[in-house]
Amino acid sequence: MDSIALPAGAQAETSDPAAAARRSEAFAGWRLAGPAVAFLVLLILLPTIAVIALSLTDFELGYDGIRFVGLDNYLELLEDRTFLIALGNTLTYTLVVTPLSVFLGLGAALLIEAEVRGRALFRTIYFLPVVSLLVAMATVWQYLLHPTIGPVNALLRLIGIAGPNWLGGSDTVLLSLALIGVWQAVGFNMVLFLAGLTAIPRELYAAAEVDRAAAAWDRFWLVTWPMLGPTTLFVVTISVINSVKVFETVSTLTQGGPNRASEVLLWTIYQEGFVYLRVGYASAMTVVFLATLMALMVLQYRALDRRVHYT
Amino acid sequence: MTRIKTMLAGVALAASLASGALAETTLNVHYPMPGFFKDVMDKISKRFMEENPDIKINFVSPSPTYEEGLQLILRQAGTAEMPDVTFVGLNRLRVVAEREISVDLKPFVAKDGKMAEQGFSDNILKLAQFGGQQAGLAFATSNPIMYYNADLFRRVGANPDVPPKTWDEVIAIASKIKDLGDGIQSIDFRWQGDDWMFSALLFGAGGTMLTPDEKKVAFDGPEGLAAIRLLDRMVKEGGMPVLTKSNGEQAFAAGKIGFAFQTTGGLRNVINNVGEKFDLRTAPIPLLSPEKGHLPTGGNAAVMLTKDPAKQEAAWKFIKFAAGPYGASVVVPGTGYVPNNELAAKSSEYLGEFYQKNPLFKAGLEQMPKMVPWYAFPGSNGVKVTQTIVDNLSRVVEQKVAPEEALADTAREVQRLLPRK
Amino acid sequence: MTTQAWKIARALRLAILSAGALVFLAPYAWMLSTAMKPREEIFSSSLALIPERWAAVENFSKAFTRVPMLQLLMNGVIVCTVILVVQVLVALPCAYALAKLRFPGARALIAAIMLGLLVPIHATALPIYVALSGAGVLNTYFALAAPFLISVFAIFLFLQFFRAMPDDLINAARLDGMSELGIVLRVIVPNAWPAITAFSIFSVVAHWNDLFWPQIVVTETAMAPPPLGLIFFRAAEAGDDYGALMAATVVVTVPLLAAFLLAQRRFIEGITLSGLKG
Repeated sequence: MDSIALPAGAQAETSDPAAAARRSEAFAGWRLAGPAVAFLVLLILLPTIAVIALSLTDFELGYDGIRFVGLDNYLELLEDRTFLIALGNTLTYTLVVTPLSVFLGLGAALLIEAEVRGRALFRTIYFLPVVSLLVAMATVWQYLLHPTIGPVNALLRLIGIAGPNWLGGSDTVLLSLALIGVWQAVGFNMVLFLAGLTAIPRELYAAAEVDRAAAAWDRFWLVTWPMLGPTTLFVVTISVINSVKVFETVSTLTQGGPNRASEVLLWTIYQEGFVYLRVGYASAMTVVFLATLMALMVLQYRALDRRVHYT
Repeated sequence: MTRIKTMLAGVALAASLASGALAETTLNVHYPMPGFFKDVMDKISKRFMEENPDIKINFVSPSPTYEEGLQLILRQAGTAEMPDVTFVGLNRLRVVAEREISVDLKPFVAKDGKMAEQGFSDNILKLAQFGGQQAGLAFATSNPIMYYNADLFRRVGANPDVPPKTWDEVIAIASKIKDLGDGIQSIDFRWQGDDWMFSALLFGAGGTMLTPDEKKVAFDGPEGLAAIRLLDRMVKEGGMPVLTKSNGEQAFAAGKIGFAFQTTGGLRNVINNVGEKFDLRTAPIPLLSPEKGHLPTGGNAAVMLTKDPAKQEAAWKFIKFAAGPYGASVVVPGTGYVPNNELAAKSSEYLGEFYQKNPLFKAGLEQMPKMVPWYAFPGSNGVKVTQTIVDNLSRVVEQKVAPEEALADTAREVQRLLPRK
Repeated sequence: MTTQAWKIARALRLAILSAGALVFLAPYAWMLSTAMKPREEIFSSSLALIPERWAAVENFSKAFTRVPMLQLLMNGVIVCTVILVVQVLVALPCAYALAKLRFPGARALIAAIMLGLLVPIHATALPIYVALSGAGVLNTYFALAAPFLISVFAIFLFLQFFRAMPDDLINAARLDGMSELGIVLRVIVPNAWPAITAFSIFSVVAHWNDLFWPQIVVTETAMAPPPLGLIFFRAAEAGDDYGALMAATVVVTVPLLAAFLLAQRRFIEGITLSGLKG
């Protein structure tokens, strides 16, 4: 249908062809997006609404009774020290992991892209952490970061530094988790940047070469960086979201301790909902978590999307 | 409409499956920590099915931890997915009992009539009782013991054949071990994770968590103060480092730690991890008050979930078998748990000989008379209370606050979490 | 630029890449070494990577016999394939529509997709579980795949990718009389291979390694994906059987690594075919 309508819209100039073309384009758009919309509603929207509904109740797993409690759960949240600590820790974690993993990912991608030989090898090595089961790799890190018998501190001792009590001390635990997070995320970001780099037309580089002295640095700022705009925006967004969702390392390595120094949002929500079994309260936390994240994303997207240059 | 169809299909399928073996009852059994219990469970169920050919044991996919196992049961409660028998951590038994998910075993015990003769003493039955309910039968039980590295003892001039009997002696040896250098540390006291090891100190001083009516905190009395001050001394005088649970285990297995205080249930694993690296020993854990001191019981209980009377008979048979002398004789050597069945412990038919040959396992056995139930807090904040206690212990271990202040904070926070009735 | 400077730059580049590679590989060295060691050698005061007594056979045979590993791997392959195929089929047209067509509600849809990106499975697990349980489909491949049949991540990724695609190509196709669906299939897909491959890698990796959801909907080992098998080697309370755990981790990771290596070639092929490069 649209195959007829569209060219027609392009040629004819009678009987409001622009409106007809718009209509048919809209129709095609909805048809193509339809299945995705259906799944989105069914698998994300409805469950989210269910969570919001649950957040207004005192539902507890295992008990039959369910009572409407209005905003009580939200009021309790305001005074919940654990929740506030988790909020702060998650923020700190995100602020460390996002920039580090984005820049290292970009760096790795640029270096690997420039290298002719061993490209596949390096790509594979840097991607390994993404491929591995994080729960199992967390156990490995637990040993590597062992304060006395671990290799990391053994190396530090060789150069005369007394290594910190990585995962054991409340001052270092969050940073240690963040480093593991960076290790895990760099390869992920690298692949995204590699995909973005390959999409840059070579002619642009040739043009840049004609234009100016083609120092690598200039080429990067003139061509690569602006052309990577959409990719970068995407990578930053995904990195923020993934860091905020940190869960596996915490649950395997520290369980939020010591003394809540590594308490993060998803862990707190999981504890409330599945361990303390207070599903209603955990749902309220989830809603606040989602709302905060959403606000952040809208802001970030508004701020960055305008500056990003699309071809 | 489609749902009805699915249901009908399910019923038809179930019927066709059942018709294959008409007289057979199939019990779906769920258990946690397969890394630990798989071999044990396989062995027990094999023997059970040999003795009871009309009952088939089908293990559903196990859960990695007690917590996750409990979540599974709570989610599945009342649905067709719910297993018929499960194993619940002794401190979480109250949760399933209060929610009436577990089947009260009182009538079965009464009908049986001769539990004591089969090795289930009143003391053992009590480990799984809450508010007049028999929520399960203790299956694998443990108590906290002292592990020590005899090589390090010798290096500081202590005699490993005469293990320290009091905490003062422990701290005196520890303070020498910490000065050995070369990354060697003194004590790994398992305060992380839950309140079990704190209970060991508190009960060991003769204290209790709450007042007998369960309305008020009681651990802030002199016994609790002694317990938390002791923890503080372990750090200050004994040089105990701040370690995560796994790091503590690993360092001890590597021969870099003098003392480890943790469950006897981990003994088999510790033996395996240590190998021939050093001379591993065990001894009873010192008590702050040898006269009135007790020790908490860790481990789990077999719990009946099925409400179907026909299955309940079979489930009761299996539970009793698993928790009985044969079950204990499989569990104990494979793990390090203590026998939860008096017959198994004493009779040479079961474990008598084993203990002769494996002296490391004796520490837990010797402490059996001191065992009392691991206290489960009332109300829905039970686990949160536990977490509050652990958080405050970590403040003491990290030397962020004085023990007195930590204890007062804990008492205040826990009191708030108790049911207000 | 002189050849001399080139050589220095290259040496520097290789040095940085190699140093980074060492850091990234370190955990795997320990993982492999542990999978070869008997239990008593795993934790010791020496940092030796080579075991004194080799226990690889012991550990790997545990990995295959303690759990029906082949069955688990098979389950993983089936579930990941179903998820990936549906995700791509649903996301591609949607992303194309959002990138290149103007239709009412498009902005709202993008907002909804952004929202979807933020919703972790941990948050919606309970309602979805209740629905699946009510439909009586727990313990099926369907239950394992259901929540992931839509990937907002895929839509988002493709959207970013398509936006950067030149409009001329599409306009030309339209002038040729191609339908919009035809454009997606014959113009967009061939050009989108890098993005599709990249996404496939992420999708497969995420679902192959997912432990959270299978634990909720699967109670029969016959339906379990590989990570559920790994819990047979963990014993939280009393310390894990590290040797067997690491051996099992190797077994679970290797197929994925192989898939990545294959996809990587495809990745490059796709780029050359689409003519985006050189």
